[in-house]
Amino acid sequence: MRAFVKVLFRGSSSLAALLALRLTVFASVDDAQSFALQAAEPYIKEGFQVREDYWGGDLGSGEKKAVRQQLFKGNEYWFWMGTEIERARISVHIYDSEGKLAEEPDGWEKGHFAAVHIIPKSTGSYFIIVSIEESPEERTHWALVYGFR
Amino acid sequence: MIPFARYLKLGAVAVSGLTLCAHGAQAPQRIDVKQLSKKVEDVVVPLPNEVFGALNKLGSVNWKEYVRSDKGSNFTERPRIALLLGTVIADGFIAVQAEDAPAVKEIGQRVQTLARGIGVERSITQHAKAITEAADKRKWENVRQELDRTQNSVQQAMNEVHDEKLSQLVSLGGWLRGTEVLTAVVTKHFSAEGAELLHQPDLLVYFQTRLQAMPEFNLAIIREIQGALVEVKPLINVGSAHISPESVKKINEITTRLDYGIVTRE
Repeated sequence: MRAFVKVLFRGSSSLAALLALRLTVFASVDDAQSFALQAAEPYIKEGFQVREDYWGGDLGSGEKKAVRQQLFKGNEYWFWMGTEIERARISVHIYDSEGKLAEEPDGWEKGHFAAVHIIPKSTGSYFIIVSIEESPEERTHWALVYGFR
Repeated sequence: MIPFARYLKLGAVAVSGLTLCAHGAQAPQRIDVKQLSKKVEDVVVPLPNEVFGALNKLGSVNWKEYVRSDKGSNFTERPRIALLLGTVIADGFIAVQAEDAPAVKEIGQRVQTLARGIGVERSITQHAKAITEAADKRKWENVRQELDRTQNSVQQAMNEVHDEKLSQLVSLGGWLRGTEVLTAVVTKHFSAEGAELLHQPDLLVYFQTRLQAMPEFNLAIIREIQGALVEVKPLINVGSAHISPESVKKINEITTRLDYGIVTRE
């Protein structure tokens, strides 16, 4: 009986720990998304529709990740990246399907916010490269949202 | 996902000054895409109004011609409901382009009924209400945003109960209806720039891959879509060449046939 209780206790502790870890992971990506959306906020007034869908994950310091997105010539796009780690430094850049830098010069980086602007010269797939340039954390959550007009 | 509206209300962090800040390290002018292609994340499927917006800039479109708000068939098979739901949300974007408030409201109701059919109605009740209110006030940007939220909430609710495949069918239904209308508009007034909007080869591959991973959805309409995507692929995957008027017309025929299959019980 005692053994059963012990196993049950161990099981529920592990479950609770796993659940807590899972909640922490989700909360952090959500936090990163909230910062990305804060960066997008001023652009709403300029007529950009910000998508509800987003990319997110975690990266180590110095690591990059590529996401691919279909863009349409005639539209104008901003991509906004954020992380909840305030002392992190992040960046985002856009390349066309041949690997050529395709962004406008008015993109910006400010600590745990970064943004990139593109007016596509052609319709097709583009690569958006997100990067954690520096971070005090081993893994840094990030999120990327985009808007168009 | 956290609703975007919540963040609009926060207003605690002023980020407007960010645009004044300096650039970071210089990005390389070129990257090796071949190496990168193996590591890329999934695509986010564009909303129909991303394409419609670009199309509008090429010349005025009589969107009223493409508005559809009839109730259509009812299905019990969840994959069919998911495909239809995506199609109906796309119809919502078309009705917004046409600024047709009664159609937008009917579509909002229809979305709610379909969402009920797959058990995710609760996730969109507030969005359906917001769509109706915004349509009454003719606040079209708000309707567009709410349609995006509706689709996102439905898909989030599906993902939470591990119905990711149904969620992908919602996106596919919307993409097919959007492509049908895009090709109808471009066929009517052909331009190379309009046809170029069909250059979406990676999206096509994305949908093909997703459908291949759904063998359990053994439905005629799913098989028909799979076959149709094979037909469409060479028509849009033309590299730097132009997409011809014949190809646009052919894609319109294919997507019209698929749309009929999605909305009709047979």
